[in-house]
Amino acid sequence: MVAKQWSSEAIVAALAAQGIELAPARGERLARAQQSLLDASAADPLRAALVLDAEPAGFAAALARCKAK
Amino acid sequence: MSDPAFLSLAQAAQAVRSGDIAPHALLHACRARIEHWQPRINSFISQEEHSGNPAGALAGVPLAHKDMFYRAGCVSNCGSKILRGFVARETSTALTRLDEAGAIQIGTLNMAEFAYGPTGHNEHWGDCRNPWNTEYIAGGSSSGSAASVAARLVFGALGSDTGGSVRLPAAACGVSGLKTTWGRVSRHGAMPLSASLDTVGPLARSAEDCALLLGAIAGLDPLDPLSAREPIEDYGAAIARRARGLAVAISTAWIERDAEPEIAAAVLAAASVLRASGARLIEVEPPDFDTLSAHCLVVMQAEASAQHAKWMRERPADYGSAVRARLEAGYAIPATVYLEALRLRAAWLERFCSTTLAAADLYILPTIGVRVPTLAQTGPMGGTDMPRLLAQVTRLTRWVNYLGVPALAIPCGFDSRGLPISMQLVGRPFAEATLLAAGHAFQSETDWHQRAPT
Repeated sequence: MVAKQWSSEAIVAALAAQGIELAPARGERLARAQQSLLDASAADPLRAALVLDAEPAGFAAALARCKAK
Repeated sequence: MSDPAFLSLAQAAQAVRSGDIAPHALLHACRARIEHWQPRINSFISQEEHSGNPAGALAGVPLAHKDMFYRAGCVSNCGSKILRGFVARETSTALTRLDEAGAIQIGTLNMAEFAYGPTGHNEHWGDCRNPWNTEYIAGGSSSGSAASVAARLVFGALGSDTGGSVRLPAAACGVSGLKTTWGRVSRHGAMPLSASLDTVGPLARSAEDCALLLGAIAGLDPLDPLSAREPIEDYGAAIARRARGLAVAISTAWIERDAEPEIAAAVLAAASVLRASGARLIEVEPPDFDTLSAHCLVVMQAEASAQHAKWMRERPADYGSAVRARLEAGYAIPATVYLEALRLRAAWLERFCSTTLAAADLYILPTIGVRVPTLAQTGPMGGTDMPRLLAQVTRLTRWVNYLGVPALAIPCGFDSRGLPISMQLVGRPFAEATLLAAGHAFQSETDWHQRAPT
């Protein structure tokens, strides 16, 4: 399934739902930029191997694990 | 005696300890240079004086810090209109530790608004300018820190690095800047931008000077719940290890292909200096900078926008236009994408350490792959090419913040326009000592770090 693309209207609506007023004439440019960013993040080759019990807090332990021996 | 402002931090501290120079002579020298340079580069926000422990290792050495490190009873504007005149109720741990080490804080330094910009532009406090050529950016967000150290106004400065904010200005201004391991230095009392990425680090004239400052500020802090328990090293002593026996990973073909020719030539020449100093160079594939940078940006945008949600709802017009635009973007990051980026972080760190650094102690690459741009090119009137140019400026720093590892940016040449070129040494978590030793070895064989703008 192909993800739906961000549009200017969708961006304005998403921000408005959070009480954020977008600066004038920003919607189109922001939609393009965010689509590109989210596409780049979604293209991560490690995503498919992400295990169920991987959690954000595991990063601190990984730092300790990866230090020089 | 020649101008004492040109001593290194290490030399100045030693001269005070031995009685060869009085602290007031250092202060006088710095003040005289500030008077001369401030109208040209706008690196200082305030001038004040807070003395430290006279028996400390850095006793009597004048420093100044990015205007986001709180000191009880004093103003931290955080480069903003919104926090203009904000009086802090407590002192940041980093400043407390520098006070204990005896350093004198002589002022607060210009910065990007809320540390959220890579160039040094500031609509509220005026742009900080590059002392090598005032038409060019000083880099951000620790713009005043780098410009002040480069112009010899202070012997060192604190900065913060969330996506490159210590290394980018260090690179643009030709000074040494250390992005520390996430959790190595307490963030207590430092203005937050993105808790998962924020780090505090020193900018100074050399790796040796960075080592002395890191030694003063590093270590566990109960006041910062994300502070690391890993033991600290004697960083000042560690630099004596030099480069012999170090294995340095490099992606030569990628550097030649990806960086502008003058940058590539300078960084590859720097790698040769390390090899001549006894290091072994190992060719590796470059990390996936673009995926890692995208994850960094997702995390940074979501966290920064959450941090600023109240003011973005109540007074959005009080932000500068560029910072407001960056904050707006964060409200369009889905929570699932943000959390997935954080969940992937450990796997990427392990991959970096088991591939790029599998047989190496550190990885060398340019800090900025393009030549330093002008203020006009990257400012509000920068035109349609501006977003692409800014992306190029930040492309090689953000991935390091996502991985949480340390990186040292040090000068390694000048381009044909006379602007500095910088290389970046990236290591394993908590390997600051290794990076500083390699940096010191390089700076023992070269004099790029000793050159000062006139």
